[in-house]
Order: sequence, then C-alpha cells, then structure tokens
Amino acid sequence: MSVRKIVTVVEEIRAEGGREVTRPARVAVVAAVIENPWAGQGFVEDLGPGIDAHASDLGALLAPAVLDALGEPAEAYGKAAIVGLDGEIEHGSGLIHTLKFGDHFRKAANATTLLPAVEKRGPAGVVFDIPLKHITDATIRSHHQSFEVRISDAPHPNEIVIALAAAAQGRPQQRLAPLTTEQ
Amino acid sequence: MQESLEQPDESIGLRKLVLYRDVVFTEAGETPARPVQRASVAAVIRNPWVGSGPSTDLSMEQARIAPVLAKLLTDRLIASMGGADEIEAFGKAAIVGTTGEIEHAGALIHTPYFGNLVREFLQGESIICFADTRAEAGETLIVPLWHKTHAATRSHYQTISARVPDAPRADEIVVIAAASTGPRPHPRIGDRMTDPVVTTETLEAVPS
Repeated sequence: MSVRKIVTVVEEIRAEGGREVTRPARVAVVAAVIENPWAGQGFVEDLGPGIDAHASDLGALLAPAVLDALGEPAEAYGKAAIVGLDGEIEHGSGLIHTLKFGDHFRKAANATTLLPAVEKRGPAGVVFDIPLKHITDATIRSHHQSFEVRISDAPHPNEIVIALAAAAQGRPQQRLAPLTTEQ
Repeated sequence: MQESLEQPDESIGLRKLVLYRDVVFTEAGETPARPVQRASVAAVIRNPWVGSGPSTDLSMEQARIAPVLAKLLTDRLIASMGGADEIEAFGKAAIVGTTGEIEHAGALIHTPYFGNLVREFLQGESIICFADTRAEAGETLIVPLWHKTHAATRSHYQTISARVPDAPRADEIVVIAAASTGPRPHPRIGDRMTDPVVTTETLEAVPS
C-alpha cells in the first residue's frame, strides 16, 4: 500500500450557542492519502484481491491513530472514502465497506455498531462531511453529528483518501429529547 | 493586565480550537530524506473591537488577548510536534470576519504581545512570516513558514493551508500559529551560498 501522506485534524469546541461547553467537545479525524490500488487498470471486475491486500492494513493504520489524536475514549465514530477523479466510487467503497477495515476501529474503540460513512468522488481539495453516530447504539440521537474535512492537495486523480473520525461525546449543547420519549 | 493563561476561554471569547497536521511519506513517488510534520493550530475568538471605529485605540485589548493566544496556540503546536526542539520553521496568520477591520487581525498577530511570545515559546530568532485576510467563514488561508532561526534558509520556505469551516463569523477572528519539523520533501533549489550572481547583465538574454 502506497501512502503519500497522513492528515490529522482535531477540533475542540469550547463555546457553542454563546455558552461555555462545560467539558470541551473533541472530534478527531485521521486520513490516509493512498494510491488507488486499481489506478490505470481500466474496469476491474473483481475488486476482492485489492480489498484483501489493503483494507485491513488501512484499518490497522488509522484506528489507533484516530483514537490517539482524540485522546479520550470515543463515543461516536464514522468513516470516509474520497476517490480521485480517475477512479470509481466503488474503489473507495470496497476499501471501507468490509469488516476487514472497520473491525480494527470497532475493536480498538469497544464499539459494536456499523460505521456511518461518506463515499464521494472529487478533485483535490474537495470538501467532505464525515457522519458520526454512537459506537454501541446508532439510535442515540445526542451523538448524531458530522465533521467537515478538506485536504488542499488530495485526492489526486489516481488517489483515494481513506479517513476515520471519532468524537468523545455527542453534539456540544445537545438537548433533544431521546427517541423513546416520542414513542 | 494580562489574563490568566490557565482559564482563557471566557476572557478572550474562545469558541474553538482546530489542529491540522500532516506527515508526508512519499512525494513525487519517492520517500523524503527526512520525515517531516507540518501543523497549524487555529483559535476562533470573538473580535473584541466589533462595532468600534478606526479611531479606536487597539493597544489595551491586544496586550490583554494576544499573549493568551500565543501561549494557547504554541502549547498545542509543541505538544503535536513532540517538543519545541523539533520545530524548525514557523509562521502565523489571522482571518478577520466581515464586520471587522484587517487592522484587528494585525493587532493580534503583528505586535510583540503575540510575535515575541510565539518566537520565545518556539525557541526561534527569526521574524515570523505571516498571512492575513478578511473573509467569510470557511476561507482557506495559505500560511507561509520559514526557518525559525535562519529565515533565508531556502529549503524551509513552505506553506500549510488552514481552514475552519464555520469561522470566522462576521464578528470573530481566527488566529493561527503554524510550524514544521523540517524542510520541503525534496529541497533542491540551492541556497544563497550556492547561487550564481544573477543580474540582467549576467544573463545573455532577459525575457521581456
């Protein structure tokens, strides 16, 4: 697997809605900019061998890195695959929509739910929003959130950006009723 | 009077902090001789001068707020890069929201209350290069970096882009400190010591 660079973003919200956030709200993203394993090969019918070759390595690389960047236990998480213009979205989806990738994050974060995802194709500098949901119960409304990311020079047309996001809490100042009170 | 450096949020109207860091493993298909980290840390604060006119004296607030920002931002840069010793290049920047003046951004980064302290915390000697602008939230600013003790070291001329999607609001300022642990990935454009003398006379022809 050829990694060109790794980007880390950590956001810490101290105030929201004009009020202090009592415990600063932290979200971290770690993204690997990799060469598209299927670049230059035309339409590849069977993506399995490429997925087997790279998905687990990517999960093993990114999962500990994003938890380290967060510096606290994760309560919500999500993932992203942003494919450069010469690739197929199917290439990015192949790398992230497999247990070989996601299980590294689930194990490291003691998580059980599916990882919400964004898959998108675009030029270098494309803005993408990573959705995050609670790590053990995807219906917990307080933890539905998303995080915006942009890498100025990635993905190149023959690259894919693979990212994981982790939040140490739900939204800052979350105060919507839990789902159950409506039922 | 300087505000507490420990609990700065309320006193400087801090909304959020954003760290952006990248590490290049391959560039143009080859591994750089040295692995280099570059990072920026941005603080989003309330513009303390919103609604005031150009005759307003900025000195009191700049002396109160800028040192807090210098400490806050450099603490995070140093932690991210593994120590001030690791940092070789630095830069600074500010983006003022649309109801502020560019002078407000300047007040927070171009005076000794910020610059001298950033230089001291990062153990540098050079003047700190900068970028500033006035913009809507989500503007990308290219932050220049150069060597922290030998500003003319050409291998260390580089930039990092900084962007906070939802800042600055019209009444906010984004203040940024940035650093790198080394040079560009494959520096090979010489230096002042190796340059030939170039003038219009030494060249056979100067494009017109």
